[in-house]
Amino acid sequence: MTWQSLFDVSTMEHRHLLFAYAAVLLIQGGYVGWIAWNWSRVKGPRH
Amino acid sequence: MEQRTPTLRSVAWLWFGISVAVLVVGFRQAIFLTPTDAAQGNVGRIFYYHVPIAMLSLLFPYLNFAASLAYLYFRKRDPLKALTADAFALASAEVAVVYTSICLLTGMLWGRAAWGIWWAWDARLTSVLLLWLLYMSYLMLRSFSATGQSQTLAAVLSVFAAVDVPIVYMSIRWWRTQHPAPVFGGGPNSGMDKSMLPAFFWNLAGWAVWGIFILLFRFALERRRQLAEQEAALQAIEASLEIPR
Amino acid sequence: MNYLGHVVDHLRKDLQLEWRSRDSINGMLFFALLVVVVFGLAFDPAGYPTTTRQISGGILWVALLFASITALNQSWTRELRNQVLEAQRMAPSPASALFLGKAVANMLFVLVVEAVLAPIFIVFFNLHVLGNMWLLALILPLGTWALVVNGTFFAALGLRARNRELLLPLLLLPISLPALLAMVQATTGVLTAELDSIQIGTWIKQLAGYDIIFTTICILLFETVLNAE
Repeated sequence: MTWQSLFDVSTMEHRHLLFAYAAVLLIQGGYVGWIAWNWSRVKGPRH
Repeated sequence: MEQRTPTLRSVAWLWFGISVAVLVVGFRQAIFLTPTDAAQGNVGRIFYYHVPIAMLSLLFPYLNFAASLAYLYFRKRDPLKALTADAFALASAEVAVVYTSICLLTGMLWGRAAWGIWWAWDARLTSVLLLWLLYMSYLMLRSFSATGQSQTLAAVLSVFAAVDVPIVYMSIRWWRTQHPAPVFGGGPNSGMDKSMLPAFFWNLAGWAVWGIFILLFRFALERRRQLAEQEAALQAIEASLEIPR
Repeated sequence: MNYLGHVVDHLRKDLQLEWRSRDSINGMLFFALLVVVVFGLAFDPAGYPTTTRQISGGILWVALLFASITALNQSWTRELRNQVLEAQRMAPSPASALFLGKAVANMLFVLVVEAVLAPIFIVFFNLHVLGNMWLLALILPLGTWALVVNGTFFAALGLRARNRELLLPLLLLPISLPALLAMVQATTGVLTAELDSIQIGTWIKQLAGYDIIFTTICILLFETVLNAE
């Protein structure tokens, strides 16, 4: 498979492959981003 | 604590870097290097994300169970340890939900493309769905219950959920032995060709390392929030003790 | 301020309050999903595909009915806190405007749940809509309004009652039976394509008639209920 054929959305198989990988990366990335965003919002321990 | 924090941060960033690197290698293996499956075509590549994540999603509920037991044990004996255990329980429940959601979603996308149906009420899929529902309900309990109570109630629910998981698995398998329905996608080890192994193992390693990273990151966030809460409470007490002039 | 302005104000207030905590909608979504899963296990769509298609209309509406009852039960509780209800009684705006605002807010919440639930339902039950799918876009809102308008009214009716949360389904279900019959028959007719368009049209007209009649009655009688003591 090549980069070109990865983004070829003509058949359902290719679309679903792309969606599946994109969904995984989005969900994991979104979760870690949410944690990081909350990390910046919660104040660190004062010392 | 002061000396530990910079080292801890560097280790965290290093771990993050390693997991991303392994995942990139895994992605390359899965998409570009592994030959196309003869039977399923390119859509079979979903396997390399779906199966490792599905296998890992079974780990985090056990971690949640262990942490909840620790919380219930330390609750009266050592409240600070209990608080740490509770933070770990919350983190592992969230990561369990994330991994199980991905497992269900990729499974449905794969199933629709490869076998024509979005869903089947067979043994494995139903068990995974019920696992997801159990840990979602755990998270809902935490958000809905009154503060102060939520940790103990959630720990108790976690015990229920953990005991329920094998029962769910057995009962649904028994149901499907009684009333067979088409099995979705064959067994997990059905026909893994040697050419598939590198992509599979790289992705398994990658998602495992990543899973540990987000688990510990979420745990650290929860601890940070707990400590901030304690500080705020301490400040309130100190303020109330100040003698007015 | 005119009547519509009052209604919109009440509607905005409810939407804002709900948006801040999102408790109700999260709970409703999860509950509706659970009901669909329970029905999936109970009726085994894989083992008995034809039968499940024939009862799928009923299953969908029962799931929505239970989900709406959970939302309706606590839609008036925020009026109970801080004596807000007394303030509402003394306000110069017509009482029915309060009712309509709340009913429309509840309608929006249930529609959101429906929008999320319908695809999940189709997936879990492996449904293919055999009839005209666009009719469902007509049946679902009409049916939902029938449940919500009466549900909001009866939830207010039982505000001072002892077993308030139990009372709502006891009052709502008998009154809603004609509407439930119409919505289930129409939905199943569309899903299975066993009814022709005239028959489905008749059910839809009955549902619309039910909606008009009961919306009118609720608007006329709400003031009485609000000032019942």
